[in-house]
Amino acid sequence: MGVVHGEEMVLNIGPQHPSTHGVLRLKVKTDGEIISEITPVIGYLHRCFEKHCENMTYDQVIPFTDRCDYLAAMANNFGYVVAVEELMELKVPEKVEYIRVIMAELQRIASHLLALGVYGLDIGAFTPFLFMLRDRERILDMFEMTCGARLLYNYMWVGGVSHDLPKGFVETAFQFLDYFEPQIEEYNKLLTYNKIFIERTADIGVLPQDVAISYGVSGPNLRASGVKWDLRRNDTYSIYEKFDFDVCIGDGGQGTLGDCWDRYYVRMLEVKESVKILRQALAQMPKDGDVHQALPKKIRPPKGSIYSRTETPRGDLGFYIESDGSPIPTRVKMRSPAFTALSVLGELAGGWMMSDVISILGSLDIVLGEIDR
Amino acid sequence: MSVDTLFDFLGSIIPAMEGSGLLLVIAILIPCLLLFLVVAVNAIVMVYAERKVAAFMQDRVGPMGQGVGLHAGKWGLLQTVADALKLLTKEDIIPKNADKLLFILAPFMIFIGAFVTIVAVPFGENVIVADFNIGIFYILAMGSLGVIGIILAGWSSNNKWSLYGGMRSAAQIISYEIPAGLSIIIIIMLTGTLSMQGIIQYQAGGMFNWIIFANPFSFIAFFIYFISVVAETNRTPFDIPEAESELVGGFHTEYSGMRWSFFFLSEYANMLVVCAVAAAGFLGGWHSPIPGYFDSNGWGIFWMMSKIVFLIFVMMWFRWTFPRLRVDQLMNICWKVFLPISLINIFGVGIWTLVFG
Amino acid sequence: MSSEQEKLIAELIEKGLAGDMDSINAIEDRVLRSKVKSGLAKAKRAAKNAAVAAAKESSPEESSAEIMPSDHPNQKFAFMIEEKFPDSLADTLNDTHIQIKPDQWFEIASWLKSEPSLYFDSLQCHTGIDLGENMLEARYNLHSMKHDHKIEIRIAVSRDNAHIPSIEQIWRIGDWFERETYDMFGIFFDGHRDHRRMLLPEDWEGYPLRKDYEVQETYHGIIIPKVKEGWE
Repeated sequence: MGVVHGEEMVLNIGPQHPSTHGVLRLKVKTDGEIISEITPVIGYLHRCFEKHCENMTYDQVIPFTDRCDYLAAMANNFGYVVAVEELMELKVPEKVEYIRVIMAELQRIASHLLALGVYGLDIGAFTPFLFMLRDRERILDMFEMTCGARLLYNYMWVGGVSHDLPKGFVETAFQFLDYFEPQIEEYNKLLTYNKIFIERTADIGVLPQDVAISYGVSGPNLRASGVKWDLRRNDTYSIYEKFDFDVCIGDGGQGTLGDCWDRYYVRMLEVKESVKILRQALAQMPKDGDVHQALPKKIRPPKGSIYSRTETPRGDLGFYIESDGSPIPTRVKMRSPAFTALSVLGELAGGWMMSDVISILGSLDIVLGEIDR
Repeated sequence: MSVDTLFDFLGSIIPAMEGSGLLLVIAILIPCLLLFLVVAVNAIVMVYAERKVAAFMQDRVGPMGQGVGLHAGKWGLLQTVADALKLLTKEDIIPKNADKLLFILAPFMIFIGAFVTIVAVPFGENVIVADFNIGIFYILAMGSLGVIGIILAGWSSNNKWSLYGGMRSAAQIISYEIPAGLSIIIIIMLTGTLSMQGIIQYQAGGMFNWIIFANPFSFIAFFIYFISVVAETNRTPFDIPEAESELVGGFHTEYSGMRWSFFFLSEYANMLVVCAVAAAGFLGGWHSPIPGYFDSNGWGIFWMMSKIVFLIFVMMWFRWTFPRLRVDQLMNICWKVFLPISLINIFGVGIWTLVFG
Repeated sequence: MSSEQEKLIAELIEKGLAGDMDSINAIEDRVLRSKVKSGLAKAKRAAKNAAVAAAKESSPEESSAEIMPSDHPNQKFAFMIEEKFPDSLADTLNDTHIQIKPDQWFEIASWLKSEPSLYFDSLQCHTGIDLGENMLEARYNLHSMKHDHKIEIRIAVSRDNAHIPSIEQIWRIGDWFERETYDMFGIFFDGHRDHRRMLLPEDWEGYPLRKDYEVQETYHGIIIPKVKEGWE
């Protein structure tokens, strides 16, 4: 019996579609339920971030980095200020470093919670999503407590942070961690080891290591393919070398190495690691110290360029900054992890079924604000 | 309270018209009106219940309010009223390129499919509109009418997503009719009747006389039937025809306002019917679990309704717990698992009745 | 300003350059003190510039003498590239980057990836930059996950002939990176299999990240508001 081929239909998934995580358009060629070719079309959310950067001073750029990856704004702030500080060869006080790490790791938990919850939603499970949002809410409350904003913080400044941690923050954070850690088990019971969830994600969208590296895939997506690569460890920045944590990699626990389930589960493991880092950072943080002490009067980096990378929840966030010695950058290029992650979709999703494409796309955890910039 | 008794009753109070055709029409229309009321009230209660059950499972409170005002009322009791008002006042959009006639027809087809089945559903010892001698067969037949409406909706919308939804649902519903039907054959084998009341009367005398506990095969058959009807009503984890995250809205993507709400009315009506059949066919219908206790006429409605409500709750529980299956996995379960087991079941029940019966 | 004061300032600057800041800080007159300080900064800058100029003058001689490169990867690997592909470097060895000519770039890139001792398996970042004076530059940040070393490669081209060989078949991410650079800077990547705009619509005019970019007047009949009108 031969394979029956019907007529191919071109279908546009998006720009308005519940599972494209923003205004992404996927041009797919389908033969019934089978997708034969998939082309992502991006640019619907292009806000000229890089052009804007060439018209304002270094510190004015920071709020714009918030709006790139709006689900991990702290991490984006962090990446940018680290790059500028590296360019200026600026040393920031230890307390500031601790605050930044605490914020970045809280943000990582928040971002991963949303990624995992929304992934459940993509697969069709509604309840885990609300459970995770409920816990994410508490992190946002802590951010609000610190800097007044819940989504776009503009919290990290070149040479410091905008506000010192408020009174009682450390206690609140510990309370949250004590509450949160058992919750991870509940998520696992509810979603991770659900038979249907495993059926839908295991062995689907397998991303081999060499393809992942060639496509520049980074972060949890790369680690799920079994590459032990985490900038916090491999190209350490800030004070991450002080903390004891594991770099989690996928092991093909429910299927093949590098499948959707692995990408999902690596994020779940990373949440646990972030909790570990947070406990250490909160305990070790110096009690006093001025967070504004190292703020430069004028941000005027010397002539030259820098390519600096940090590990955001989505992967390697690179900032390429070219300075001509003036207070305005000549060029700021943001190398976003979601951009590279999305580029692999065409390779990953061909030949799968319609529902699988949604589950593959969801497992890559993209944020369109960061892709289009 | 079937049509016949109502006809006789009306004849006795208006002797002048006894036996006339007009009286028969009135005798038919009154239960119809009541049935429509049942469907409408059922939808109102179920939408509220679904919201509250979902909220309960998701660790939130659901619709809430204080007293009556411009909000959802005490405990959100007016939420469904607000929903209905919203749906009624929404703009009715028919896409320009849609096949207008079929587009308008589709929701009614689905609704009729759900509506007419309730005729044969027994809610109590005497509370049934028409006790056919082929009641359960009639429910099965009419229940599958809905799929025509779904295909019509999917096709006539002239939208690729709707088409996907329509095709998926056609495949799904038709497939799952088979295991559901085969499970019901077990009931018929054991009771020897197709009449709903006959089936229930067979199960009199305590919960161990219920068909679910009659033998191991019928026990399995109940679960196959229940899972199959969850799939037939397009509920999670089998909601692939709607599959919000994949197909936007599936076959009802292009529908809005009241037309759209007809899909929901019929979904909830369908749930009521399939749960009623499960309760009547496997769980003893309006019989009390303990013979002699609360087994009077009035309690019959209570027992029947509580069994239905429990099954509906389980369906909601499914919906808010499970992710969605993929379309080929769904078909695999149906054809490779349920169908063989159902056939073995029928064989097993036959042997069982031969040996122990 | 009196000549006496000038003399005093000059004296103090001399002292400052010699490292004696205390005498400057001890000045009571605030105006005078600030003048001395600014003079000191100026003098220091001038000295630095002179040193840089001297270094620049001496550098051609050094490169012609083929001195061995330092241990910095940008120098070490540039030297290896020059050995393997003679006449491919466009600039002297330095710590910040490797400047190469566009013509052999594809071969160099595939060699960089396949050579076991280099093994640059990851193209970390690729960007364009407008250097002004009619020049555009493409920059590649390469990184080897195996050896954990990284280099930056720069290829300068003129605007009239902005063509660089495409490396999208070597590093697959190059596909999107190059499309973005083409989109923003108008650098053409020869051999790219899907050479379209990435973020902007297909029929957009001009290349926005060039420094002299002017927004087109209308787009499909929609008037585009000029930059800095109605905000700031």
